[in-house]
Amino acid sequence: MSCPKTELISAYLDEEVGPGEKTRFETHLQGCSSCTHTLAELRSLRMAFSNAERHPAPYGFATRVIARTAGLEKKKATWFAPYFVGFAEAAVLLIVITVGILAGRVMTNGSPATTATNMASSLSLELFDATPPGSLGGAYLAMTEVRNEK
Amino acid sequence: MQNPDDLILIDRFKSGDASAFGEIVLKYQDKIYNLCRHMLGNAHDAEDASQDVFLKAFQALSKFQPEASLYTWLYRVATNTCIDRRRKPVFESLFGGSEEGERLVHDRASDAPSPERLYQSKQLDRTLQESLGKLSPKLRTVIVLKEIEELSYEEIADTLEISMGTVKSRIARAREELQILMKKFREQNP
Repeated sequence: MSCPKTELISAYLDEEVGPGEKTRFETHLQGCSSCTHTLAELRSLRMAFSNAERHPAPYGFATRVIARTAGLEKKKATWFAPYFVGFAEAAVLLIVITVGILAGRVMTNGSPATTATNMASSLSLELFDATPPGSLGGAYLAMTEVRNEK
Repeated sequence: MQNPDDLILIDRFKSGDASAFGEIVLKYQDKIYNLCRHMLGNAHDAEDASQDVFLKAFQALSKFQPEASLYTWLYRVATNTCIDRRRKPVFESLFGGSEEGERLVHDRASDAPSPERLYQSKQLDRTLQESLGKLSPKLRTVIVLKEIEELSYEEIADTLEISMGTVKSRIARAREELQILMKKFREQNP
């Protein structure tokens, strides 16, 4: 076996080669100082990594993350809030109007036709005297009406 | 493969149990922070990126497919976040981050090795971190996932959504380049 690529030596170090490849390389390794040297250098690099400082998350990290997610939840809630408030206001107004109409019907206790008649008569000027009762204007109008009838 | 505990946490989250997300954060915060720390090189950026990872997770977890492993998914979000974030030309060294961030990290150290050992370890770590920072994002990502997070080739392939062959070749290239960079760094900083 000729010297393999560094890729295979690297994978051998990581125990990521198949059993056949592993056996062939180990046999080759026994008589190859170049590959032995390469492997030793890779092991040295691995040692440097294994000595490298491991960094646990700083104190209070999880609390800070959770606090920020609370902000996200708030954002989620406020995204549609203006639309929701507008809709709620419109709904309340509609309910008030409907209840008002129904209550009016119940209080007048009439059918729609009666209600319409009542409404028309309530708006009629005939309900009111044109002049104050017992006034000169009233007497004058009464005389004029009699004359007109004649 | 999906962790059964994670599946329960995800189900709880989806059904509106807010505490489930807190448990997910507590479970994976050290892994994600450590990954970001090595990808970005300083405590301040690592904290920001890690928080972003969990916020993205919070927003997307309801659509999470149980076929994928939660930690693989979180690692994917983390590596993408770090790559996106790290568009700066200069890599801040291990000691180049904000003082506050560094203090937060070092405040956690409880066991104290001898000063000489500590110095040697720091020097090696600095050499490694400086060299790591000079790698391309693609190579840095695979080597950090392999050597720091100790993922298998298959897990790295799943995380980055690339083939096993690509993982294998990128790791080998990353190692070759790192060796050259570390040698160069030692020569420049005897």
